[in-house]
Amino acid sequence: MIRIDKPAWDIMVEHARACYPRECCGAMLGKEADGVRTVHAARPMRNAFEGAQEDTYVLDPQEQLAVEKEARAQGLSVVGIFHSHPDCDAYFSKRDLENSCPWYSFVVLSVKNGEFDHANSFLPNFDQTEAPKEPLEY
Amino acid sequence: MPKILIPTPLRQFAGGSDAVEAAGATIGECLEALTAQHPDLRRNLYNDEGKLRSFVNIYLNDEDIRYLSKTGTAVKDSDTISIVPSIAGGR
Repeated sequence: MIRIDKPAWDIMVEHARACYPRECCGAMLGKEADGVRTVHAARPMRNAFEGAQEDTYVLDPQEQLAVEKEARAQGLSVVGIFHSHPDCDAYFSKRDLENSCPWYSFVVLSVKNGEFDHANSFLPNFDQTEAPKEPLEY
Repeated sequence: MPKILIPTPLRQFAGGSDAVEAAGATIGECLEALTAQHPDLRRNLYNDEGKLRSFVNIYLNDEDIRYLSKTGTAVKDSDTISIVPSIAGGR
């Protein structure tokens, strides 16, 4: 399961609202113990997709390297990635699955009419064929 | 020896290390040395056919090896190798 501290959650929601109607993305920094990931900090990131961002996001690898360094410096790990789905539900799409990575929790935030609606977290497998939901607390 | 930075979620498979020195003349040799030292990393980096998984991007210093000579890219002792997952998606 994944638990997100309120200050981190507030940053994630605000980033999703600010990017609306485009998809936002970012990293969640925290710790993992006994199968529970706890997010202590959220780091908004640039959507590096160069086309229409209403339905696509791409993380910038150089920024990923920078976020890894930040996490190390704070004694934290990158435990998850978040992105938003403007005006649709927080499901894990085929494209989300095909471009995922099993090392992280993937939190999807649904933003409807510019306001946060609901969220879910997913755990993709190694072969990028399945991503079961995991319990999410925020 | 070249240094390989271990992404935070993979440290648990590398004895807790955030960086591992791995001998080799190429990126491929260094990654082989890394997974020989830490076999639990292998499943995270390679698929059943022994190829790097599609979501695994490797950087030599700040350059993506796909734009160099891929795993045949030559490395020097002073180089830093980073493992960066490729992540994207959309509704």
